[in-house]
Amino acid sequence: MWENRCKVAVSGVGYSKVTRSAEIPLAAHALTAVKEAVADSGLRLEDIDGLATYPELPATGHAEIDGISVVSVNCMMAMLKLPNLTWHIQVGTTNIGGAVQQAVNALLAGVCKYAVVWRAMHNPRGTYQNLPGAHATGAAQFTAPYGFGGPGQGMAVAYTRWLERHGQNREKMATLAVTQRKHTQHNPQAYFYGVPLTREDYLNSRWVAYPFCLFDCDIPVQGAVAMVLTTADRARDLKPRPAYLAGYGQRLHFEVAGRIGSLSDYMLGGSSSAKLTWERSGFSPKDVDVAQIYDGFSASVIYGLESYGFCKEGEALDFIQDGRIELGGELPLNTFGGSLGTGRIHGLWHIIEGALQASGRAGSRQVEDVNVAFVGASAPIVTGTTFIFVREPY
Amino acid sequence: MSDWSKVTRPIPVPNQWTQPFWDAARRSVLELQRCQSCGHFQHPPYATCVQCVSTDLKFEPVGGKGTIYAYTIMYHTGDKRFAPAVPYASIIVELDDAPGALLAGNLLGSPYTDAKVGRRVEVIFEKLNDDITLPQFRLAR
Repeated sequence: MWENRCKVAVSGVGYSKVTRSAEIPLAAHALTAVKEAVADSGLRLEDIDGLATYPELPATGHAEIDGISVVSVNCMMAMLKLPNLTWHIQVGTTNIGGAVQQAVNALLAGVCKYAVVWRAMHNPRGTYQNLPGAHATGAAQFTAPYGFGGPGQGMAVAYTRWLERHGQNREKMATLAVTQRKHTQHNPQAYFYGVPLTREDYLNSRWVAYPFCLFDCDIPVQGAVAMVLTTADRARDLKPRPAYLAGYGQRLHFEVAGRIGSLSDYMLGGSSSAKLTWERSGFSPKDVDVAQIYDGFSASVIYGLESYGFCKEGEALDFIQDGRIELGGELPLNTFGGSLGTGRIHGLWHIIEGALQASGRAGSRQVEDVNVAFVGASAPIVTGTTFIFVREPY
Repeated sequence: MSDWSKVTRPIPVPNQWTQPFWDAARRSVLELQRCQSCGHFQHPPYATCVQCVSTDLKFEPVGGKGTIYAYTIMYHTGDKRFAPAVPYASIIVELDDAPGALLAGNLLGSPYTDAKVGRRVEVIFEKLNDDITLPQFRLAR
């Protein structure tokens, strides 16, 4: 087990308004989320001495403009002018989960005391994923000429392989979409709060890239979420009950840049990250009371459930049936609605929900008697990270 | 059958590491990067052998027969250049001679509904201009 388990905790969390299009600059969303997280902790901005984010814009073919389409650490520093700042970072290889992990490491190293992590996501005008212009360079020279554009199609090809190799039926995925939308109705901050979804809606919806229909894809939105991390002893003196970090992991598998469709790349990415997390925390999948698994595209949940070890390969679509992933079920899943419910804010919301469930602060969607909350914070293939939060230090 | 006649494809821009692939394709030959140390074929081209980390890599001809490893049927018309062909099959092919190397392509000459994992395909070549010819696939005959 990890000697540093339960030595860092999540304290306050914060959200901006989530809107379909950009009505205000993205920096304003990020600022709202960060200030709310600090206030939720009972701290003042002067207390914050660490900043971390992952400022990527996943939409292809759009400009990254700081404050407008991304919110970098520099942008946040300029806005907050923190008098006591001692540490900051932006990560590249591990998405937002990596920013959280770096903040954890900084707290353990004693180079900051209260770190804020935020994720701000922009929805550009026009088509989200643009193929390259007249010419395709780099890895795209082998994919774009055939009409392969954004990550949706890359996920879709792996999904057909999974479905046909295992003789599975994509219609079973309706259970995931409908259950998560039900959970969304307990999350007033979510984009689809107040908008129900039926099995018939899912089965009758238009195709995007087979096997994905519209409701297999998270909707691009504009918004930001944030959380405060601090050491366990400091967290106990703050307003909210802490969620203790029992362990984390990151994917260790990488094969070839530009290779798409390989199911094993997803599975090895996920299993390598989860293995670190189980070993560090001392827990195993059967100990988990509630799980948040990244669902930017629905099939990510399949790869997550299987590669993290919650069920065997080929069984995930059966595993999610019969109420197992409902709030009262055996493994409540994506209890905040997931990205399919909140809109495309990437994995920090999954991490926040894992912490809220562990600390008993999830409101009407709180799962009873949670001690162990698992999080898979992004698609396991390239940027996967995993976390376990617990209610009681051990 | 998807109508590709009105589609304008992005033109691949070879670089010094990928030029041999496109030079061969222009001659209607499929060549992939092969490790001269362990014999492993790989695609897309990479700086080192993904199996043994050797940097001694050369492009060598491979047979054009393989199976559909995975596929998607594209319905989204966000990219107007491809909209006339929607719905169309974008496929990933694993060649018999190069296990683990995955080539993208379209399934040409058949209805998109013929795309299925495990179905046999063979390479054909689609000339885009004087410099670039695309390897493509059709059901094996």
